[in-house]
Amino acid sequence: MEFKDYYQLLGVSKNATAEEIKKAYRKLARKYHPDVSKEPEADQRMQELNEAKAVLSDPEKRLAYDQLAKRYQSGQDFQPPPDWDAGFEFSGRGFEEADLGEFSDFFANLFGQGGRSGRAGRGHRMRGEDRHAKVFIDLADAFHGATRAITLHVPQVDAQGRVVSREYTLSVRIPKGVKEGQHIRLTGQGSPGVGGGPAGDLYLEIHFTPDPRYRVERRDVYQTVPVTPWEAALGASIETPTPSGAVKLKVPPGSQTGRRLRLKGRGIPGPEPGDLYVELEVVLPPADTDKARELYRTMAQELAFDPRQRRGG
Amino acid sequence: MTQQPVVSGEVIDEATLTLEDLARACSVDTDWVVERIESGLLADGSPYVASWRFTSRDLTRARRMSQLERGFEAAPELAALAADLIEENHRLKDRLRAAGLGDD
Repeated sequence: MEFKDYYQLLGVSKNATAEEIKKAYRKLARKYHPDVSKEPEADQRMQELNEAKAVLSDPEKRLAYDQLAKRYQSGQDFQPPPDWDAGFEFSGRGFEEADLGEFSDFFANLFGQGGRSGRAGRGHRMRGEDRHAKVFIDLADAFHGATRAITLHVPQVDAQGRVVSREYTLSVRIPKGVKEGQHIRLTGQGSPGVGGGPAGDLYLEIHFTPDPRYRVERRDVYQTVPVTPWEAALGASIETPTPSGAVKLKVPPGSQTGRRLRLKGRGIPGPEPGDLYVELEVVLPPADTDKARELYRTMAQELAFDPRQRRGG
Repeated sequence: MTQQPVVSGEVIDEATLTLEDLARACSVDTDWVVERIESGLLADGSPYVASWRFTSRDLTRARRMSQLERGFEAAPELAALAADLIEENHRLKDRLRAAGLGDD
């Protein structure tokens, strides 16, 4: 585990005032807000910022952290020394302002479960925090269901009473029919409780891995299917892959690029299944052989066709 | 130590979350949720709000609002306004993608 320099993360000096810390946080939080940021790893940066703010904007935790920081530099390998926070009394858990479960191992080791003083036998029983994680699945998983492995880090109190970070992998069943943005709740898989309290829940937020073949809107799925000019002009029965498997598709005669065919109920399954929209894209064969060029010339001579005339252009 | 239990969860949709579930998942107290529902900032128009049940969409919005309020010390109305704009932005991006236009 690496030592985190919270001052460096916020870009403030060690003697920054509370107001300066707040301002620096807000400026960076705007930049890295995951809903709007185009910065790489915005989610992780935001988590670090939240963590830095949670510590540095709390006078008690800042003081304890400053004592510890005297001995470490950013990135340096770090293990919290025994009794590192002796003499500091944190007020309760002190993290009403943050989702504790979303902070780093470094943070959890220092302040997890309210810090050492929080587990020093005050005798209170408290439910663990809920945790949140994003999971990316393939669109096909929403059609068929899947099992996905998710790695989590959970602060845990060991037999010696120290907070340790435990890494574990959960295999989670992703049920058929989940939608983008939907949550799956795993009861009791959140942060452990305090004083024998129950563990919190883990909420997984489902997102689809971007797939250039498919586009999704709610339960409806859109895909483009290339067709030949003769299939489009004369009509044809073609086979095309879809997220639910290959389907036979009737191309109506006289189709053009952009023609949209709806396959009712072939979108994401559910109580009200979505539809699959297939958009045709007419692809011209290349005129790269004498034979192909001859065929194009024949069409030019035999077909009275001028698409610009039709448009009036 | 690594463990690999296979777990099944419940899909939060329609009406699965209670008021207490929602508040806990957002690290706020239930009053926070109630105040924002009564002011029409949260779960507005949801058919389940009358029975105090909440959907995935409500959870996403409530977390977003609570984070905006904390991070920027924003008034609830301002956080709700930002959440409205973010949601609208996501809707439009989805439609752009569905139309094959991308969002870059």
